[in-house]
Amino acid sequence: MSQKQTQWAIGVLGTLGVVAVIALHWMVFFWVPTESTMGIVQRIYYIHIPAWWIAFLAFGAVAVCSAVYLWLGDDRLDRAAVTAAEAGMIFTTIGLLTGPLWGRVAWGVWWEWEPRLTSALLLWFIFLGYFLVRRSTVNPEQGKRFAAVIGIIGVLDIPFIHVSVTWFRSLHPAAVVLNPDGFAMNLDPSMGATLGVGLLAFSLVFAALFLAGYTVAGYEHKLDLREAASAGARGAEA
Amino acid sequence: MRTYIGLVWAVARKDLLVEFRTFERLTSMGAFVVLIGVLFYFSMNTAVVRPQDIAAALIWMTIIFVGMLGMGGTFRLEEQDGALTGILQSPIPLDALYLGKVLSNFILLSVMVALILVVFTAFFRLQFSGNPYALFGVLACGVLGFVSLTTLFSAMTARSSMGESLLPVLIFPLLFPVIRFGTTATDRLFAARPFEEVRGDLSLLAAFAIIFTFACAWLFRFVIEE
Repeated sequence: MSQKQTQWAIGVLGTLGVVAVIALHWMVFFWVPTESTMGIVQRIYYIHIPAWWIAFLAFGAVAVCSAVYLWLGDDRLDRAAVTAAEAGMIFTTIGLLTGPLWGRVAWGVWWEWEPRLTSALLLWFIFLGYFLVRRSTVNPEQGKRFAAVIGIIGVLDIPFIHVSVTWFRSLHPAAVVLNPDGFAMNLDPSMGATLGVGLLAFSLVFAALFLAGYTVAGYEHKLDLREAASAGARGAEA
Repeated sequence: MRTYIGLVWAVARKDLLVEFRTFERLTSMGAFVVLIGVLFYFSMNTAVVRPQDIAAALIWMTIIFVGMLGMGGTFRLEEQDGALTGILQSPIPLDALYLGKVLSNFILLSVMVALILVVFTAFFRLQFSGNPYALFGVLACGVLGFVSLTTLFSAMTARSSMGESLLPVLIFPLLFPVIRFGTTATDRLFAARPFEEVRGDLSLLAAFAIIFTFACAWLFRFVIEE
């Protein structure tokens, strides 16, 4: 993809994403009916649930790109992994912030040591380690490999964290979209549509962020190579 | 296979020989165990909290902290003396090097776990009437899971500018299942509950230890290479 095509794609995805986010907020505030049990506070779900879905998608991408990077050593995969991790952190933070906002009203507390909240917080810290280790090595190649290792170990650890926290007593509402009765079987069609728009909006924002981050990382890589080459040429002249 | 096990043992034996000649890590870890026992005792209001009720948490927190103290410097000696370059140039497979380090760390931490049980039983007058074999299994699997991750990450932090201060940030979220399953099972065993009630925790601790030992052995080459 040429530079112009990439910029155009980022612009289109970003614009569509912003329009979809605005549409989502309009639906949340003015269109979708109020849920009978939880009341008005339930409306935060249309932001909270898509944010988590995209966060998990991003961290899945980090694990896959990290594993293939360690296998092939292709820098483009490392750039894809780190960009997905950055976007994943943004959506995880949105999920972690919107959850307590709902919890304060529904449970009466900002934080509860509840399975999903605990796993989410641990996931956030695993990926904080991903960025810390990357920036704390003198040799950047080493930092990339260390980060990839954390990406893989982190994803391997998630099932164990999930099992260990689901043995707590859970207060979190049961899944209504991906539940044992079938996909979105108990969901009102207007609520399903709002959730769908939320997922589409966040997917578009994620795609725009990912493409922009990946492109910038590519430019940085080229700049590093150019600087290294000119430093080498100066050394040869001296 | 025999040669491979011989290589793993050669690395572990070298580390254990160095340790038992200098007693550097064992002394600091042993002193830490006794001192943390003293601090725990005086920071607790024993009129309100019965030590027996929180024995599992005290034991596991001490294992984790003493483990961080001792295992964090797994590669320090080799890094300081430049010996790691020599080891890396030798024909030993890198996973055998990792497994040798895991074995030596496992033995050292197991010695400390024995000390923790003795010290805490004496200090807190803990009474254990549960299944001792199950407790042995829970502690062994938990320690192996802990050591497998900490050995890999200590190789990483030895080469980072943040050093050992980075280790807890990287390792604590990942160790959550070990602490969770370990404390639950130990708690039930201290309450003399039947083995059936800890079977699930023990199986998951064993699965964690096996999966992460193999995964980390494979990933070690990407951490240790220059």
